[in-house]
Amino acid sequence: MDATLDYAPRTADKNWRNQFENLIIPLSILINQVVLVVTLSLSINILDLDERGGLFALIGGITGVDVGNFGNLGAAVQNFTGLLLLTPVLMSIYGSVRLYFRKQDGRYFSLLLHFASFAVCVVVLLQLWGVFLSFESVVDGIMEMPWVLLGIPLAYVLFWIAGKFSPVSQLRAVLEYVALGMAGLTFIGFVIFSDLLSSTTLIRLSQNFGVWLAIAGLLAFGIIGFGLLRMGDAFGETPDQRVAWQGWLMLSPNIIGFTLFFAGPLLLSFYLSFTVSRVGQTPVFTGLDNYRNITALEFAWYDPQAAAQPNKLAFAYGGLQEQFVWVADESVRRYRVNTVGYNVLARWDILDRTLYIGARDRQFWRSMGNTITFCLMLVPLATIPAVGMSILLNSKMPGMKFFRAVYFLPSVAAVVGTATIWRWLYQPQGFYNYFLAEITGFFNSVLGTNYADPQILWLNDPGVVLFSIVLLAAWQVVGFNTVLFLAGLQGIPRPLYEAATVDGAGRWKQFWYITLPMLRPTTFFVLTTTIITGLQVFNEPYTLFPARPIPENAVTSVYYIWITGFTRLELGFGYASAVAWLLFALIFLVTLGQFRVQGSGQYD
Amino acid sequence: MTKRSILIMMIVAMLAMFAVPMTIAQDDEDVTLRWRTRPDNQAEIDVYTAASEQIDAEWDGVTLVYEPGGTETEDYQVVLVTELEAGTAPDVFWIPGADIATFAETGLILNLNDLAMADEDFDASDFYEGPMGFLTTPVDEDVPDVLWGLPRDVSAFGLYYNKDLFDEAGLDHPEADWTWDEFATAAEEIADLGAEIYGFGMSAWWGPFGYFINAAGSSFFTEDFSACGLNNDATVEGLSFAADLYQSGIAFPYASDPEGPFIAGQIGMFMNGRWATPNVIANAGFNWDVATLPIGPSGEATNWLFWGAYVVNANTAHPEEAWELVTRLTDEVIQGQIADLGANIPSRQTDEAIELFLATLPDAGINNQAFVDGAAVGVTEAPLFTGNWPLIRDTYSDGVAAVLNGELSAEDFASTICDDVAGQFFD
Repeated sequence: MDATLDYAPRTADKNWRNQFENLIIPLSILINQVVLVVTLSLSINILDLDERGGLFALIGGITGVDVGNFGNLGAAVQNFTGLLLLTPVLMSIYGSVRLYFRKQDGRYFSLLLHFASFAVCVVVLLQLWGVFLSFESVVDGIMEMPWVLLGIPLAYVLFWIAGKFSPVSQLRAVLEYVALGMAGLTFIGFVIFSDLLSSTTLIRLSQNFGVWLAIAGLLAFGIIGFGLLRMGDAFGETPDQRVAWQGWLMLSPNIIGFTLFFAGPLLLSFYLSFTVSRVGQTPVFTGLDNYRNITALEFAWYDPQAAAQPNKLAFAYGGLQEQFVWVADESVRRYRVNTVGYNVLARWDILDRTLYIGARDRQFWRSMGNTITFCLMLVPLATIPAVGMSILLNSKMPGMKFFRAVYFLPSVAAVVGTATIWRWLYQPQGFYNYFLAEITGFFNSVLGTNYADPQILWLNDPGVVLFSIVLLAAWQVVGFNTVLFLAGLQGIPRPLYEAATVDGAGRWKQFWYITLPMLRPTTFFVLTTTIITGLQVFNEPYTLFPARPIPENAVTSVYYIWITGFTRLELGFGYASAVAWLLFALIFLVTLGQFRVQGSGQYD
Repeated sequence: MTKRSILIMMIVAMLAMFAVPMTIAQDDEDVTLRWRTRPDNQAEIDVYTAASEQIDAEWDGVTLVYEPGGTETEDYQVVLVTELEAGTAPDVFWIPGADIATFAETGLILNLNDLAMADEDFDASDFYEGPMGFLTTPVDEDVPDVLWGLPRDVSAFGLYYNKDLFDEAGLDHPEADWTWDEFATAAEEIADLGAEIYGFGMSAWWGPFGYFINAAGSSFFTEDFSACGLNNDATVEGLSFAADLYQSGIAFPYASDPEGPFIAGQIGMFMNGRWATPNVIANAGFNWDVATLPIGPSGEATNWLFWGAYVVNANTAHPEEAWELVTRLTDEVIQGQIADLGANIPSRQTDEAIELFLATLPDAGINNQAFVDGAAVGVTEAPLFTGNWPLIRDTYSDGVAAVLNGELSAEDFASTICDDVAGQFFD
């Protein structure tokens, strides 16, 4: 082949690329202005500024989005979102100006906007396509042809084999292309079998202007963004800077997921905790009322000898109630009347008098009490045996690796499955009671005693139900803690034990003066995680007691948050959020306290 | 071919792809209604699906989408509440009778009164009076005329009994007018048959223990539902009677599910609703039947009338069609098809509906009349418009569990329970 002929297309290709690159910066600035206008318009609409007329109405009219009641989230969230949307507006202005002057930061700001807009277009397109709402039917469609799934491992294997060949090998390139092709075909297969390309879906989509807009956005932000990304050299990008943006790009799915599904809901729940927010209704800001009502307590003495009883009627007793007006807004009238008065939380007879403790929200205090009791029982049961087991597993006895796996198994098994098995074990005629009856019978026959068969009602006796949950939770956590202690034990320098042996220290003294102090950092970690696990317990009571409502003594704080939010519609999400933040405060304080204790006594 | 040409061709191809279906696009004027129930098993899902398809076929211009919800333990309500908040809940859905007040007060369900008034075929008196009374209770003084939905079906307790155990103990089978004394004697004698045999069993929720309270002449609430009604001697008598059964080991341990042991032939008498019938028919390997609940110290037959209703989503885009769907789902034909499963009693108290129900399950030969009689004297499951029912219910349940398990005396329960819940009644 003639060399000149070979060269000609490359020149054309390069020219085309140069022209494309020359266009990228103005195009990038142009689409930045699109982002600016769209986000500014949305922001104006969301902030309801368009109603002021004039320029506001003009810009707001560009997107013309009617935010209505903003998904029942209320004015505060609406304003916050509106203001948040000004961030891309400012970024767009700054990025465009700096990009015009060919500054690196202008490129990065523009890239960020292009990338975010691209992602938004993808999400909008998927939403219009119905992927999120009909996810179940998409999965059903794919599962009708499950063999298509084989394409992914096959493609992976091909890619792995390709990697075994030299980077310059022709075969490697071919294999890589085949693998990519197979992955692509699998994806196309997914789309076809998931009914997402059925004619009715396509008809619906083709009639939707938003779909076309999203596709146009996808192409524009994708192509121009990609072009700008490749122009690093033109902006004098250093290798460090390149590595940095590549790192951020890799992190971006996690950052987006964290922001949308963790930080966002967290902020929202914090806001909702200051509102009356019930299903289907717009939240009404009520300040600290939720917190006040959750925690309100009243103490009163009842003296049967005294003539006047001013205090005992303050809370619900003797048929009279104190009426509390706690929000002025008429729209939440029912909420107010729902929580009048105090309920008797506890009563103690002291000498001739009775002390009554009334709580506005008795279930909250009961659930907190249950949770703390649960923790107090769980911590020793999940840590002390773990230390013993880890010492045993650290020995050189044969088969220890097998037992390490066995002990660790409960902590990786799904709670729903294990709790179901424990529910059977806990039945009145289940294994535990059978075991206890056998033991009792054995002692009675050997010792000649006459102890009654305990017949414990593990899941029914109010005095036992919490302990039943603790046993299950401890069984699950203890294996995990054992592995942590095992790691801690293996980090203790052998010479310490050798020196102690030389000094005449026995096994017990070695354990007490070397092992335990050296395990201190591990112990701290184990205690902290176990306490946090204990304070957040939910799955165990939820699964162990399938019938609703579950016994009151089994209601833990997180379970209480759940029933408040989803089943007690009159209290709703705002109230449940407030309980959640109170629980957070408790966990935070406990952990802080532990850090203080740990910090004050470092082992030297 | 340059990359630019490839790009242009790709775009043209994509445009063409969307242009083709665009040309064959047709306007779809059908109204689509989504509706949901909480079925207990696959058999019920199949019946409701068939009913939905039948109505769909008969009804021009409307397309029905039936969505079986989760079962009781799979948090039907949690899914529903989440969807209501997200605005994706179905147009018509079923909720338990006790939840009507909360849903109405929260503004989640549509007041169907105007639609019902305009419907010439609708006659409220066709349905059981109790549920209709609650379904027409206003939550706002300014809107006195309301209709929150129509009852899907009703149910009542029956006393499922193991004929073989009765015969083995030499006892007569229960009669319609038998009393607590006869019931207690029978339970004791059956329990004496063996260490693993119990005389009686009931599930641990408000319905079963509520029967003992009602049958003794007491009630969960005062007559106007404005306060707790348990602080009286009748409560003590009713709960003491039940507690004796548990304390003496005659009854199967409280709060353990007795359905399995009854089906295994270990329990002589098992109190449960009509919904338990299909499972007993399918799995019990002994002779059995159903009797009405025994008459307690009040001297009058009593029972519960359980019910649930189809309601319309307050945010439905098609209220007229939704109302029509509710009426179609509760007509005699559909109710008859569902009653054929054996799990429910039609919510219509017309002679025709009752005849249909009495003729169900002919092969099983069970006493269907016991359920009709039970429903006729049943205290209607009440949505509490005057208080916080979930909290009151939980407090009652915990207290009664303590009594039946022997940790609290019935006297102490009766003297303190109304203090404990007083704060949960509205002003």
